[in-house]
Amino acid sequence: MIQFQYERVTTAKAAISGLANNSNARFIAGGTNLVDLMKRNVTAPTKLVDINMVPLKDIQQQNGKTSIGALALNSAVADNKLIIEKHPLLSQALNAGASAQIRNMATVGGNMMQRTRCPYFYDTALPCNKREPGSGCGALQGLNRMHAIFGTSDKCIAVHPSDMCIALVALDASVVVAGPKGERRIPFEEFHRLPGNQPEKDNTLQNNEMIISVEIPDNAFNKNAHYMKVRDRASYAFALVSVAAALHMDGKVIKEARLAMGGVAHKPWRLKEAEQALAGKPATEETFRQAAKIAMQGAKAFKYNAFKLKLGPNVIVEALKNAAGLV
Amino acid sequence: MDKSKSKYEPEREGSESRRDFLKKSSILTAIAVAPVAVAKAAEHNLGEKISAAFETTPVNVTVNGVKKQLNVEPRSTLLDTLREQLDLTGTKKGCDYGQCGACTVHVNGQRVLSCLSLAVMHEGQEVTTIEGLAKGEELHPMQQAFIKHDGFQCGYCTPGQIMSAVACINEGHASNEADIREFMSGNICRCGAYPNIVKAIQEVKNGGQKS
Amino acid sequence: MNEAFFDKKDYKPLDRVDGRLKVTGAAKYSAEYALPNMAYAVLIGSRIAKGTIKSIDSKAAERAPDVLAVISYVNAIKVPGYQPKGKHPSEPSTQGQPLRVFFDNKIVSNDQPIVAVVATSFEKARHAATLVKIQYNKEQHMTDLEANAAKAVLPASGKKNPKSPTADYDRGEKNAFESAPVKFEAEYVLPTEVHNPMELQSITAHWEADDKLTVYDKVQGTKMTQKNFAKEWNLPEENVKCIATFVGGAFGNGLHNWPHETAAIIAAKQVKRPVKLVLTREQMFTMVGYRPRTWQKIQVGATKDGKLVAINHHSVGQTSSYEEFTESTLQQTRMMYASPNVSTRYRILPLNLATPIWMRGPGEATGAFALESAMDEVAHEIGMDPIDFRLANYTESDPDKNMPWSTKYMRECYEEGKKRIGWENRKLKPGSLRDGEWLVGYGMGTGTFGANRNAATVHAELDSDGNLVMHCAITDIGPGTGTAMVQIASNTTGLPTEKITFHLGNSTFPNAGLQGGSSTVNSVGPAVLAACNALKEQLITMAAGKGNAAFTSAKPDDLMFDKTEIQLGGKSAKLTLGDLLKQNNIDKIETTNESKPDENRNKYSMNAFSMHFAMVHVHPFTGQVRVKKIVCCADAGTIVSPKTAASQMIGGATGGIGMALTEDAMMDHRFGRYITKDLADYHVPVHADVPEIDVYFVNKPDLLADPVGSKGLGEIAIIGVAPAIANAVFNATGKRIRELPITPDKLI
Repeated sequence: MIQFQYERVTTAKAAISGLANNSNARFIAGGTNLVDLMKRNVTAPTKLVDINMVPLKDIQQQNGKTSIGALALNSAVADNKLIIEKHPLLSQALNAGASAQIRNMATVGGNMMQRTRCPYFYDTALPCNKREPGSGCGALQGLNRMHAIFGTSDKCIAVHPSDMCIALVALDASVVVAGPKGERRIPFEEFHRLPGNQPEKDNTLQNNEMIISVEIPDNAFNKNAHYMKVRDRASYAFALVSVAAALHMDGKVIKEARLAMGGVAHKPWRLKEAEQALAGKPATEETFRQAAKIAMQGAKAFKYNAFKLKLGPNVIVEALKNAAGLV
Repeated sequence: MDKSKSKYEPEREGSESRRDFLKKSSILTAIAVAPVAVAKAAEHNLGEKISAAFETTPVNVTVNGVKKQLNVEPRSTLLDTLREQLDLTGTKKGCDYGQCGACTVHVNGQRVLSCLSLAVMHEGQEVTTIEGLAKGEELHPMQQAFIKHDGFQCGYCTPGQIMSAVACINEGHASNEADIREFMSGNICRCGAYPNIVKAIQEVKNGGQKS
Repeated sequence: MNEAFFDKKDYKPLDRVDGRLKVTGAAKYSAEYALPNMAYAVLIGSRIAKGTIKSIDSKAAERAPDVLAVISYVNAIKVPGYQPKGKHPSEPSTQGQPLRVFFDNKIVSNDQPIVAVVATSFEKARHAATLVKIQYNKEQHMTDLEANAAKAVLPASGKKNPKSPTADYDRGEKNAFESAPVKFEAEYVLPTEVHNPMELQSITAHWEADDKLTVYDKVQGTKMTQKNFAKEWNLPEENVKCIATFVGGAFGNGLHNWPHETAAIIAAKQVKRPVKLVLTREQMFTMVGYRPRTWQKIQVGATKDGKLVAINHHSVGQTSSYEEFTESTLQQTRMMYASPNVSTRYRILPLNLATPIWMRGPGEATGAFALESAMDEVAHEIGMDPIDFRLANYTESDPDKNMPWSTKYMRECYEEGKKRIGWENRKLKPGSLRDGEWLVGYGMGTGTFGANRNAATVHAELDSDGNLVMHCAITDIGPGTGTAMVQIASNTTGLPTEKITFHLGNSTFPNAGLQGGSSTVNSVGPAVLAACNALKEQLITMAAGKGNAAFTSAKPDDLMFDKTEIQLGGKSAKLTLGDLLKQNNIDKIETTNESKPDENRNKYSMNAFSMHFAMVHVHPFTGQVRVKKIVCCADAGTIVSPKTAASQMIGGATGGIGMALTEDAMMDHRFGRYITKDLADYHVPVHADVPEIDVYFVNKPDLLADPVGSKGLGEIAIIGVAPAIANAVFNATGKRIRELPITPDKLI
């Protein structure tokens, strides 16, 4: 880890100007991903702007939406009464990620900014276009058991590792970001990007922008929501496949559905067509199976992750069954 | 028995203990506290040797109830600072990547991983390590329960498990066995003392020692 | 030997004697000795698996602040023990030529340590290490076991000695399998597993003088380490000291002195300061051994009513290109069941990998996965309960060595285990049981490991206040060695446990072997017993000499303490320890006693046995396996320290859960590099993976094995766990997974 400049700021404005004129400066909040990557020399910022003192931790309900400050801790959000009541899907997803200690450090903004866990990205002796553009994708012909089945490119097949983001994309959240020219809103689905020819870019945040908050519009999904994560051990592991499922029920009929998958793409993978297929249907295993089939259209497996083509729809069905109270 | 009479010497740490050494050096650093220059050299990839002592930043932290003014490199983790600078080696380095929980400490009462936390980020905060958990000679109930239920073997993950366990109860995440297992899963024990750790936590949760 | 010891089954289980140190953070591990003027070393590993170093550009690193040295083969001081050709002078625990760090420019495995960067702080050393530029001449490497299995060889030990455990073995008719009424054949693969103790491998090397070396080292043998480094540095043994008071787990990886240790010693010599070196978690996968990936093929022939006719068992395991690592993968196949015909073939394949090292329940755990899975498969094929099938082939003597067992109480284990797991709920037909959506299955597996015993020596001192202090060089990597020894001494003398201290983990203490192979209580325990009895003899002689008639014909067994009062045959002899010593003008008595294996070892087959039962839930659609209960039964002889012994079994079962369900060091053979090489990607079980584990000990002494009657626990705690779980998964699902770990992808 190189010696870097360290600056502590107390306002978003100071934070943003702290990044000015240095493309190799980074914000640090929880540090749970950044410090890890710095130790392994995957990334080496020359300046860290500590934004922990910026007052962006509030969770509040107003104007038909729930606003969560970018610096709210993952644990604070997961345990927040308002969130548990109005957006249990988010609380469940947060608690499915990392460990209690990490959730006590990691912030909402930092969670969104976390990099992939692809082992080729982490090992500087191996090729990785995300870490070193042009060096090749080690996973493409390598051990790609954990890798993407949707939206891959021949440059990168890594997956986005967050659980929280899967719930947020399902809940139609939007991201409020601030830059030198003021604030803008990015629909959550457009915040993260697919690798394409620029796998080094994880998201659409500009270099000098800062995440201020995440907003979730009010919804009627709080009664029937379930986050299901299948992983290689019972806890504290990244997803093989995860599914955020939320239903707005009208008796036994699904009025509206929200569905997203984790562990399958370079971004949180929203399943809108499957959602549409669920709307207006009875909440039965058969309905869910049909929706899962639609959800998997366009999936493409590699040598070691073909199991996701089967596990994916199974987890969708199981998550929906749980959401609908069929289990 | 007077150990000095034994034919076998107890282990020792060289002729001058580092505790003495640290005391001396902390006097030196106290004198040397100076306005911190920006580490411009960082941007030049440190191609040239910096003649002065390496760039450090002062940080005020309360560790186990004692206020400390430390000078740390911004890149020093809280873990390395505790272990190498303060000689508080009860906090363990098991992976250094936030994957095992051995380095768990409390910061302002919350359990966090000291290996993923830069020391410089704890200005004005209160850090409690395993060394600060007991009240003098009187062990914390969790420490006693770990002994009673044999919640460890090699002992290396133990400080982290105990710090995490205390927080787990305080957070309200220890209401049943399944919860304890889930919310303690960030603390890996390779010796496999998990069931005994769960018993220890349950006992403390249910009102302390009932032996 | 004092019979009272074994009768005192009601004694209160002792809390770990070092518990307080461990729960307060006061226990010091090898990287926690703060020496003045200490420097920090960081190792750079090679980025290729085979070839040579073309160049090392260390200029930028050397110029970096407070860097003291950048050490490689180019500038490393000469290690006197390194020979240009032939054997390394250190005593390798494996056969061959251990890697000589910084010796030449050859690369024989990926992440082989090739450069050490030493600086005044860890942060500075770590940063400077990123500035070193190394170029390589790459050569074609070979790391893939299965792809090259045909090139596997018979180990040299097996070639030289047909009686060696690694040699080809045939009992009965070679072709008996072919004509068996029921023929079963299958292949099994165990992936590379890594010990991954929680403490990173660390050493603090300190040259106290030019010819005087102290290492604070994470090892399983302080004497081994002392001897090896004395030879390596051409020093008298007494000039080398190894301190390993606390070892943060090891599971076998401390049974070998590794290149990083020598690297730190070289660095300390070169910078003339104590040097601390802590491996990274990735380096734990490549520099300190691992359980070798092993391919096995097994053939089992049986009659339709469940009598074994033949077992043929073939295994191929990994080794490095420079050391010949072998383990006892096939041993239990030769002796666990009464099969008249048994053939085993053990082969190893040298690859461009670092040398493996024994990992808990070493080869036996690997072999048991194949053997115990196959037994389950055959039982299923002939429609028999797998326990009945095993009982039908129970051996009353060792069919391999043709000797009687010293003791064997497996029938008790079958009975008790069945009861505790609820075996009666098990259905013969797989997939018959459900709990909600989850499929439910029951399985079991057995294990065995030799009741090993080595020579060990204990020094003991008893003062007038009744304080007993003992010293021995043995280490404690976690099982609770000190606790067990205090218990033995207490039961032998009657002294309260709080008056007894057992110092260990220091090479200046009396000799003991390695803490490995489940041998500690069997080896050091008898030495404690001998020392306690010797102290008693001294007291008897002294008492008799001072005219206490009752003592003239007394034996050590007759004498017990009640606090500081000396009692004979339970009766007060009106003699206090203090008075007796005073009368003799001394303030303490002391003794040094060795205990070693006796000739019974040539007459009996001595083994510990275990049996593990698992109940699992398997989700039919997500493939997740949840172990809901494990019952561990052990026939391990005397259980000296019930609390710590139970913990050892629980720990072994937990390791077995990892082996069965989660652990897999995967290698990308294009690069010869592991891709699951930290604790996020290499999954060891976490709290949520581990259920209640129920432990049953037969607890009958084996006094033929050793005077304490102990047969050892550490290995049998894990041997047989993985097949028990795999068998339970089969019983739940009807799916037989023959390549571990059983991850969700394999079950959907």
